[in-house]
Amino acid sequence: MDTAELKELMQLISESEFVEFELEQEGFKLRLIKAGAPAAAGPVPAAFLPQATLVPAAFPAAPAPPPAAEAAAASNENLAEVRSPIVGTFYRSPSPDAPAYVETGDRVKKGQVICIVEAMKLMNEIEAEVSGEVVEILAANGQPVEYGEILFRLRPSA
Amino acid sequence: MFRKILIANRGEIALRIIWACKELGIRTVAVYSEADKDSLHVKFADEEVCIGPARSRDSYLNISAVISAAEITDADAIHPGYGFLSENAHFAEVCQECRLTFIGPTPEVIRLMGDKAMARQTMMRAGVPTIPGSEGIVPGVEEARRFASEVGYPVIIKASAGGGGRGMRVVRVEDDLQRNFEMAQAEAGAAFGVPDVYLEKYLDQPRHIEIQILGDRFGNLIHLNERECSIQRRHQKLIEEAPSPALSPALREKMAEVALAGAREVGYVNAGTIEFLLDEKRNFYFMEMNTRVQVEHPVTEFITGVDLIKEQIRIAAGEPLPYRQEDIGISGHSMECRVNAEDPDTFVPSPGRIRTFHAPGGPGVRVDTAAHQDCYISPYYDSMIAKLIVRGNSRTEAIGRMKRALDSFVVEGIRTTVPLHRKILSDPDFERGEISTHFMERFLAPRPSTEEEPVTG
Repeated sequence: MDTAELKELMQLISESEFVEFELEQEGFKLRLIKAGAPAAAGPVPAAFLPQATLVPAAFPAAPAPPPAAEAAAASNENLAEVRSPIVGTFYRSPSPDAPAYVETGDRVKKGQVICIVEAMKLMNEIEAEVSGEVVEILAANGQPVEYGEILFRLRPSA
Repeated sequence: MFRKILIANRGEIALRIIWACKELGIRTVAVYSEADKDSLHVKFADEEVCIGPARSRDSYLNISAVISAAEITDADAIHPGYGFLSENAHFAEVCQECRLTFIGPTPEVIRLMGDKAMARQTMMRAGVPTIPGSEGIVPGVEEARRFASEVGYPVIIKASAGGGGRGMRVVRVEDDLQRNFEMAQAEAGAAFGVPDVYLEKYLDQPRHIEIQILGDRFGNLIHLNERECSIQRRHQKLIEEAPSPALSPALREKMAEVALAGAREVGYVNAGTIEFLLDEKRNFYFMEMNTRVQVEHPVTEFITGVDLIKEQIRIAAGEPLPYRQEDIGISGHSMECRVNAEDPDTFVPSPGRIRTFHAPGGPGVRVDTAAHQDCYISPYYDSMIAKLIVRGNSRTEAIGRMKRALDSFVVEGIRTTVPLHRKILSDPDFERGEISTHFMERFLAPRPSTEEEPVTG
């Protein structure tokens, strides 16, 4: 599939009512998911980014990381990472109509609840381990997260 | 049929399950600990979820993490493999409650067979012979004498509060009974605080013979013959084979019938194995039942042509067994060597990076492994890195084939038990099929220095 075809496909899916689209061909796998899709739709990486994954051929190759993560990697020095301690679904607010616990730019105190990861119908409050400023929120509301997945980057206060 | 299966395991068995799923057109979800992030089962599955840090307790044994992973990936079923959560009745129950199909028997059967005393009683009810025991404390020498003459010598006196092989005395003739009985009571009192002892029939040179069974949800139950697993060290199997050189067709039929009766008694569904001890007089006794697929399942697959993992999945999906008993035969002879990352002489674990890896091939050779060149064998999990399985038209051909396969199995960078297997395969008793669970003890005992060691590959 060339870039023009890929763009056309993305446009098509974007305009359609489809929330999730997956295409697998020899040596190429494409998965498109609309941002904000409910967790029930399956694994939902952030936003609306195509993920080109090499299908294991003679010897398996590691999947290419999504572009957003690579850009973020550049300015990571000295930022504290908040990683999910469990497998589950990430939520930014305590309930669907409540405001998010934090937004980028907010200052948080150590021990402050900054998100929820729901596992098996139990809401687990995740606390900031350091006081500081929320620099980046890496998971989308309703996104499934795995153990160790980076949820936030905080700039610790002095 | 399931759309998506989560494999709650790692290593070679996780791969094995992925192969079966691929052949059945089922999508796979791999779960992995941080230590396994570069593992093959993660790479070959369609989806993967990291469920915890290296320690098994926090990852592969972490029920909520595994179930959570199944929820976020929308899996229909979970295959537990062997070890880890495969015989955890509570896990099977949680799967049921979360509307995930647990690929295996019911939680009730898992629980029943996991309780040694209950399992024994259940099997006895089904007419399955169990090792005769005194069924309670033996208070005095007279009762001991009565029991021993009933079941026949040799007998073993065991401390009721004991364990770990301590406080046990074997008595071979009646004249030795009183002395040993009184000493056993004294030792039990001293070591465990309670002088209570009980008696069991003692099996000399027993052979470990297990029968593979498969049952579907419609009540169809078949057996897939036996495996012999007598080559063990400290109760860990090293080499398995099918069929057993000790079984005549008549004995096989008898043992299989008994195994099926036991399985029928509990209404067994899915794959299971009933383990027996066979003594020198060809009497057999129930030892335990494993309510999961076993490590050594490939030897049965080689001689019967049945794909046991696919059948497990089909049974769990509610399909009837596609085989009747008369469809199951024995074709040739198969053997398996478990290759461990251990020093072949001292058995000290040998984790590390595999620099060179070349698995043997050719006719009748199968290698089940998640190891590969440049992979890292971590110290967190059990030491088995590969299973080398062969099939030959006869036991002799299988042995010859295994020897040449071991000779061409190259693993550099870590130590493995390949040289040990090579030596065992050349042992005259092994070649004659004259083996028992005491084989490894004798084999590893220090030899006189004048004996020549066979040349190893």
